[in-house]
Amino acid sequence: MSRIVGIDLGTTNSLVAYIDPLTKEPKCIPGPYGSTLCPSVASLDADGSIVVGEAARRRLLTQPERTIYSVKRLMGRGSADVQTELKLFPFRIDPNSKNVIRVQLGDKYFTPPEISAFILRELRNWAEAFLGETVERAVVTVPAYFNDAQRQATKDAGKIAGLEIVRLVNEPTAAALAYGLHEKQRGHVAVYDLGGGTFDISVLKLISTNEGDIYQVLATNGDTHLGGDDIDNLLQATVRERIRQEHGVDIAARPELAQELRKTLIAAKHQLSVDSTVDIRFPLPSDDVFAMPLTRAQFDEVIHPIVTRTMAPVTAALADAKLTPAEIEEVVLVGGTTRTPLVRTTVQEYFQRVPHTELNPDEVVALGAAVQANILERGVSNMLLLDVTPLSLGIETYGGAVAKIIPRNSTIPASAQEQYTTGVDNQTGIDIHVLQGERELAKDCRSLARFTLKIQSGPAGLPRIEVRFLIDANGILQVSAKDLRTGEEHSIEVQPSYGIGDAEIERMLEDSIEYAEQDFAERQLIEARTESESILAATIKGLAAPQAAALSVEERGKIEASVASVKEAVAGTDYKLARKRIDELNHATEHLAELLMNSAVSSALEGRKLAEV
Amino acid sequence: MSTPSTATNPPLVCWSCHERALGTHFCASCGKLQQIPQSLDYFALFELPKKLWIEMGGLEQKFLQLSWKLHPDNFVNATETERELSLKRSSELNDAYRVMRDPVARVEYLLAIEGARKEGEHKQQAPVELLEEVFELNESLDQLREAKSAGGDLAALKLRLEGAANNFAEKLKEVDGELFQAAQQWDAAIDAESAGAQNQPERDEIKRRLNELLNRRSYIRNLVVNVQKELL
Repeated sequence: MSRIVGIDLGTTNSLVAYIDPLTKEPKCIPGPYGSTLCPSVASLDADGSIVVGEAARRRLLTQPERTIYSVKRLMGRGSADVQTELKLFPFRIDPNSKNVIRVQLGDKYFTPPEISAFILRELRNWAEAFLGETVERAVVTVPAYFNDAQRQATKDAGKIAGLEIVRLVNEPTAAALAYGLHEKQRGHVAVYDLGGGTFDISVLKLISTNEGDIYQVLATNGDTHLGGDDIDNLLQATVRERIRQEHGVDIAARPELAQELRKTLIAAKHQLSVDSTVDIRFPLPSDDVFAMPLTRAQFDEVIHPIVTRTMAPVTAALADAKLTPAEIEEVVLVGGTTRTPLVRTTVQEYFQRVPHTELNPDEVVALGAAVQANILERGVSNMLLLDVTPLSLGIETYGGAVAKIIPRNSTIPASAQEQYTTGVDNQTGIDIHVLQGERELAKDCRSLARFTLKIQSGPAGLPRIEVRFLIDANGILQVSAKDLRTGEEHSIEVQPSYGIGDAEIERMLEDSIEYAEQDFAERQLIEARTESESILAATIKGLAAPQAAALSVEERGKIEASVASVKEAVAGTDYKLARKRIDELNHATEHLAELLMNSAVSSALEGRKLAEV
Repeated sequence: MSTPSTATNPPLVCWSCHERALGTHFCASCGKLQQIPQSLDYFALFELPKKLWIEMGGLEQKFLQLSWKLHPDNFVNATETERELSLKRSSELNDAYRVMRDPVARVEYLLAIEGARKEGEHKQQAPVELLEEVFELNESLDQLREAKSAGGDLAALKLRLEGAANNFAEKLKEVDGELFQAAQQWDAAIDAESAGAQNQPERDEIKRRLNELLNRRSYIRNLVVNVQKELL
């Protein structure tokens, strides 16, 4: 059978990893820019093709209306669910969308699974280019607290990308696998995973048996809409207000400026993970510069509510696992947002234990996905993963109440049987409504599916149908029915409440091939062209700036020559040459970039590319 | 609560090689995963006697051993039939473990396979000896609800309800104690039987008693939960 790769389909960044055949260790695969992080950003090019990753991320600044980030927040959600999201994110939602959202990029509409499929395709291309073979199967990670619809949407993304998702693995569990391999841990482990858009806490028990190591998840909890994005949004709201007051500029009304500010503030946030203070400087169109020093203490105060919000799920997960914080032997931090010092100290204080941060928090989930992919490829040999369903499964009963049939934190696969009969003579159907959640009323839980059980007419009470609800190893619901009088089994076509139909997926698969079937070289060339656009624009602007007067004649000549050679290279078809010329231009403009920065911040930005200044 | 399926008899030969060489989980002849045998209840699945006291460490070990063999992770590259069987078998195993490690669910399950408890049975009448207290409790609950909607003084009512709730929580403990005793009697009867004694009437009496205790327990538990909800 063909190789299975591990993919972390993240809110902010996505990664693909494999097991190195020589070292037997999981490794992340670098993309064309050398980084293993593929920004989870997609952009619709004017020529109708889709650009993904770093090139798309740059377009957030130049073409925000054709570009989308953090689409994971929309997966498996209906338009009624995302109203708060819409206030904070520049998503342009089709006003006609109902249970499946459609997002506008340029003049076209896409569903979140289609956009995620573009990202999956990109990662597959990375893997194929790196491994030199076709890649058709993957293990993909999802937040542990993802519900059925969000998981289903992720599986749909795989189908649309033409990639078989062999298994969905929960992100904190994947991280535990990677750490377990690395550290040989035993006992109770808590994984605190705060990413770009989602928060998970999982409590695991690591057991050594004669057969091998077992990773048993005892309980999981979380919030699928809580992460670094929220920190960015809070920080932006604070700074936008200051800019409005001090300079009378409304950033929100100008998408390009809003993206520029977002980028500036994310950089400031990152710097505050290392330094205790940062000078935020943001040039305004009026040629004024907004300046604001931000200390880590002030930053901590802004983000305190978000960090606090993570602790309720932590307490709930421990209660479900019937453990106290003191009984947790190891704490593992996962996700880029756990680099924030306030997160670290909060977790450390709660568990009274220094958390593990040895593995790169951006890569650890993808590494664990690769470990699980390897297990599935070869069959369980020395490691077994037993995960749980994060939310209770229930069915609606009389008066809109919910009867729980599979409790949360049940080991999956898990199932429950319910027997049904008719209440009146010649009744031909029984309506069944399946829900997920902890609340008591159906209206407060997540609707997974509604369907009608067809029944041959007969006297009331005579038919006896057993319906089997099964949550598979991916955490996804399957329903089947058995006529207990005849023993006949039926599978039930369940149209998910928030899902896309099979026929629709088929159509999207065909469409996506149209968008994405350029060969590797062609895509590289498109990316190089996009990148050249931004650096050329920045260079021309930079050379015209008064600070450029400090350049030596020689330096200026070199830059101008380099600009010409970039233009020439991107007009051709050799992407390697284009890349090389762009790198040369980046190098030639380093001094110019420094000159353009205020001296106070220039030291922190040394080695930066001009396009990033 | 799930009970072993009785509607279809699994075939007596292996579905794959058609040999009559079925082991409990895998065909002894070709090694393929099999349907769960009809006779295999949760006790038999974990190779335990039909007794209510279970050593949890041993149960966990057996669960992990079986998980290792039955889990879908083993069957990713297998045929669709085997993949489906593994999904079915491992979900049954997980369901079984969920029931067996919960002492109350375990009693319910035992009574169900012994035909002494109908699916979903929860008698909602108050146990006779509790009638008076339940009546008082419901009255206090009504008063609290009224006071809440009328915006009256809640403190005194709440205090009274808390007292009543604690009282019922005590009673719940008592029922649990009685349930434990009855379970011990059941285990003793099973031991006596395997030593050769025949005492069907005694067994039936213990089952009746266990069933009654379960009903009482679920009644009181609902009361306590309802009161706690109102007190929040």
